[in-house]
Amino acid sequence: MTTGFWHQVRAVAHRDLLRERRSGDVLWVTIPFGALALLLVPLAVGTDAKLLREIGPGMYWVIVMLFGVLVAVGKASKETLPQQDASSLLGLDPAAGYVGRTASSLILLLIFEAVVGAVAVGLYNIDILAPGWLALTLLVVAMGLSLLGTLTASIVNSTSAGTALVPLLVAPLSVPLLLGATQAYEGIRLGHGILSWVLLMIAVVLIVAMIGVLTARPMQES
Amino acid sequence: MKVQTRIRRWPWVAIVLSLAVAFALSMISPKDDVQGELVRIMYLHVPAAWLAYVAFFITFVSSIAYLLTKNLRWDRIAAASAEIGVFFTGLTLVLGMIWGKSTWGVPWTWDARLTLTAIMFFVYLGYLALRRTTDDPIARASRAAVLGVLGAVQIPLVHFSVVWWRTLHQPPSIIRPDGPAIQEPLMIVTLVVGVVVFTVIYGALVVKRIELMHLEEQLAEIERSADRPVAGEAVVVPELGKKP
Repeated sequence: MTTGFWHQVRAVAHRDLLRERRSGDVLWVTIPFGALALLLVPLAVGTDAKLLREIGPGMYWVIVMLFGVLVAVGKASKETLPQQDASSLLGLDPAAGYVGRTASSLILLLIFEAVVGAVAVGLYNIDILAPGWLALTLLVVAMGLSLLGTLTASIVNSTSAGTALVPLLVAPLSVPLLLGATQAYEGIRLGHGILSWVLLMIAVVLIVAMIGVLTARPMQES
Repeated sequence: MKVQTRIRRWPWVAIVLSLAVAFALSMISPKDDVQGELVRIMYLHVPAAWLAYVAFFITFVSSIAYLLTKNLRWDRIAAASAEIGVFFTGLTLVLGMIWGKSTWGVPWTWDARLTLTAIMFFVYLGYLALRRTTDDPIARASRAAVLGVLGAVQIPLVHFSVVWWRTLHQPPSIIRPDGPAIQEPLMIVTLVVGVVVFTVIYGALVVKRIELMHLEEQLAEIERSADRPVAGEAVVVPELGKKP
């Protein structure tokens, strides 16, 4: 398997997506669960249409953060130690493995964001303002979450706590993304510039990507 | 008294002496015109917050050093520093809540500095939880080091939150481009001495914690070796008249 870096990335991403097609974990479990959570919120806070329209975008981002972690981690944590050893013996570059797993998570997260977003728009009557900026925000958040989720899953892989520890690790670390996403939407709504928030999220994405790629080999060796 | 014993005791002597100095200063320092006696909480709150930053920054640097050198000494420093940082972050939050209850009327507000400090607390609580999930010291060190580097992203966010967002929490009081906001020299001296004292305490605690980690590792090694079979245990002595 000693081929080019990007070929290895494509192979790993393809493998993970095939696994998802067979199991349907994200499409048939996580996405319906996220949509259900959006349905439950009004039962707790009240069904006032004006209130729901106001809190809708924030609720959407919270759901994306909490459930998006499950999407990213679910894919990355399914690799067992013998599988990792086999990949290593075949000459898989650990950094390519990390980028490949992140890429498959990114695709699934974008699907998750789109479906749950449509549900949120329908249930909460949210306005879609500045579609270009919104699409960029969705992409950056999905990238950040997939990078964070994949990295954290590799950290906890084969520990005694397993994936139970992941939400505690990822939720606080994803706060800059949550802040950026919610403030960007608020900025669009109020007609303010949102470039600084988008740049904050991009900076987080770049930092996590750099840490993930640079520490992929020591993580594999551990 | 042996020299070694004296060296072992220096952390405790340093802690007691520096605490006594800081306590005396905080008591003779004048009360604030607005906050009254409540200002004395600041002499604990500010140094505790400073120490939390220092501790997590040391964890960050030691984690990088471990990833580069694979020397477990760096992992011990990172872990010891994170433990102390978590304690002092908790102390910062509690003291801030006591002060907030009297000043703002509520112990907690959804202020950027407060919220991000609480989040930083949970990040490093996760770091400590992660360390407890792996017995193998090498695997534990590598995993914790990656999280130690990743967690440091929060530190500048917490520190600059009072500058970037309009918050209820006051901006920096001493290190400011236009000079300190505090006018009373004794108050500034007390705060600075508090910061120095807490840094001494941090150093002493890190040293003691690393010593304790050494002992824990030795104990774990003894326990592991007790379970190992003795060399030659599998060899059975043949007995006459019995088939092997």
